[in-house]
Amino acid sequence: MRRVALTRASIAIGLAIGMAGAVQAQTINVLTAGSQNMVDYVTDYLGPLFEEQNPGVTVRAAGTGPGDAGSQKIFEKLDAQMSAGSDAWDVDVAVVHQKMAGQMREADLLGSYRGDIATGELVTRDTAKMALGVDVDGYVMPMFHSQTAIAYNPDLVPDPPSSYEELKEWVAANPGQFGYNGIKQGMSGVSFVVGWMYAHSGQEDVLSAGPYDPALKDGWGDVLAELKSFNENVTFTPGNAGTLDMLNRGEIVMGPVWVDMFYTWQADGRVAPNIKLKLIGPGMPGQPMYYIVPAKAANSDLGKKFVELATSPAVQAEGIVKKFNWYPGIDAVHVEDSLEPADFEKLFADVTPDDLASKGKVFPIGPFFDDILESYERQVQN
Amino acid sequence: MMTLHRSLRDERVWSFALVAPALLTVGLLFIYPLGFSAVSAFSAEEEGGWTFANFIKAFDLYSNDILFTVVIVSLSTVLIGVFAIAIGGYLTLGENLYAVAILKWLYRWPLFIPFIVAAQLMRTFLAKNGLMNNLIVGSGLLEPLQTQSFLDWRGIVITFVWKQTPFVALLVAGAMASLDRSMIESARNLGAGRLRILIEIILPQVRPTIVVALILSFVVMMSVLSVPIMINAQTPTMLTVDMAFRINAYGDYGVANALGFISYLMTGVVAWIYLRHGVRQGGSP
Repeated sequence: MRRVALTRASIAIGLAIGMAGAVQAQTINVLTAGSQNMVDYVTDYLGPLFEEQNPGVTVRAAGTGPGDAGSQKIFEKLDAQMSAGSDAWDVDVAVVHQKMAGQMREADLLGSYRGDIATGELVTRDTAKMALGVDVDGYVMPMFHSQTAIAYNPDLVPDPPSSYEELKEWVAANPGQFGYNGIKQGMSGVSFVVGWMYAHSGQEDVLSAGPYDPALKDGWGDVLAELKSFNENVTFTPGNAGTLDMLNRGEIVMGPVWVDMFYTWQADGRVAPNIKLKLIGPGMPGQPMYYIVPAKAANSDLGKKFVELATSPAVQAEGIVKKFNWYPGIDAVHVEDSLEPADFEKLFADVTPDDLASKGKVFPIGPFFDDILESYERQVQN
Repeated sequence: MMTLHRSLRDERVWSFALVAPALLTVGLLFIYPLGFSAVSAFSAEEEGGWTFANFIKAFDLYSNDILFTVVIVSLSTVLIGVFAIAIGGYLTLGENLYAVAILKWLYRWPLFIPFIVAAQLMRTFLAKNGLMNNLIVGSGLLEPLQTQSFLDWRGIVITFVWKQTPFVALLVAGAMASLDRSMIESARNLGAGRLRILIEIILPQVRPTIVVALILSFVVMMSVLSVPIMINAQTPTMLTVDMAFRINAYGDYGVANALGFISYLMTGVVAWIYLRHGVRQGGSP
């Protein structure tokens, strides 16, 4: 008899301890789509900072892989939980690409939260409201903005081309010296192709804002034929990193790269210090990465708090600009005060804020984007 | 009589229970996804119903890539066969014991290196100003401007051959070692050269092993994504890259599965050869 009572008591105590533990120790799950540096940003910097400010909370961060494939995995995970009728999804915050944010919004996978957090009003750019033609106002916070530009070796190309038109002539005169990674090996090549379409089709406005017209692609034959003959004098590189590698080994002297990746590699000594950037006209696309909080996140309040910290001016200055060389997600004016002037200027040395404003483009809306890629596959590659 | 009956039945139940985990694994992880992807390849995602549209699009966009995949994998298979036979032959017939010992120790190394690591190694090794060309230039054989990049179809073939030759050589050398030496010795006594012994005496006897090992290599190479995506920046490229692109860029599983189905057909042909071979050999492929 006594033994039974003892067992009961110990079970009760055990339960009480367990429940107390459950109240105190919370875990939030943060998924990041993107290259390793973005996963590192959450695991090494943002996660520990959040844990420090919120005792008892554990941040469990995981990367889902680079490029659109990573975002696709997050989409599929949330979509599966929605289809299963679950009410507590096991993703509290996710970092996704622009294209996928629109798709998630349309599938009702996102929670509206920008109005709930204090940093929501620090961003006024269009990218916080529209994601490639889909209205995402309130559902996303930009983590950072990224931009593609042409990297070149000024010792070998003292006077680099400043537009797609000049680049075309330069490549014809210097075959094999310009390299990009096609469209299947990473987004810097995709971005270059989109810039080509903007420059030569004369349809930038409708491509980037809609409305979608499936017949538009039928008129791209000449533009793509021109790109095909341009490609004959181009060296193809294996991936975003491949372009930088080949530049660094001197196998090419010019090629499109992501600005943040370029500066990070240069800071690590993996790209020669003399190599410079130029944003050529009429412009090349860039994109934001978004923080989203899923519609039925199990810990959505903590998720919102996490995004609030991540988009605060101090974190944007220290983490996004200084540590990782990205352009801030919130408006640059709010970040400027938290930064040393030298750090702020370093980011805008080669590509000036004016360049960014006039030549920093957005990617086309989803269906046109697919049309461009598929037309390239059909007419340039096969 | 009754007891015999019962024990037979018990035995059947037990034997079924024993193979059940394996059957379940094959069913869940292989048969079900295979059927699922075949169905998806033939169904219209938006309109519903059955269609060939995915296949028409696959051929429309990727016909060169399909051809390229067949050529690259076949070429690699042939080269792997040649090198594996050469290695196995030297291990069996080599007279310099030191050379045989060194070769025996060396040739298996690539077996333990995953494809993605091999691809990463080759990416820096085969580049225009990569390690290989730097060595050649450093030794004075070529001028820096004469070098060229091997990061194209040649890079894929080199990586595949480098990675898969040890696997085939391992099986082939084993089969060669288990042959009856007396036949080789008598041929040698009658004055046959080593090459002739290899081709006329040894090869016919180990042919089934070679065929099986090459078919397995063929199937493995068909499924590798990391090597073409990391090494070959050119077009055309291999089907695995297109499948990944279809899903990652467009979320289009229909055409990706159609491409997958085309890959099954290719491997299906070699699997058929494999089975025919196995049956002719008395059911032990």
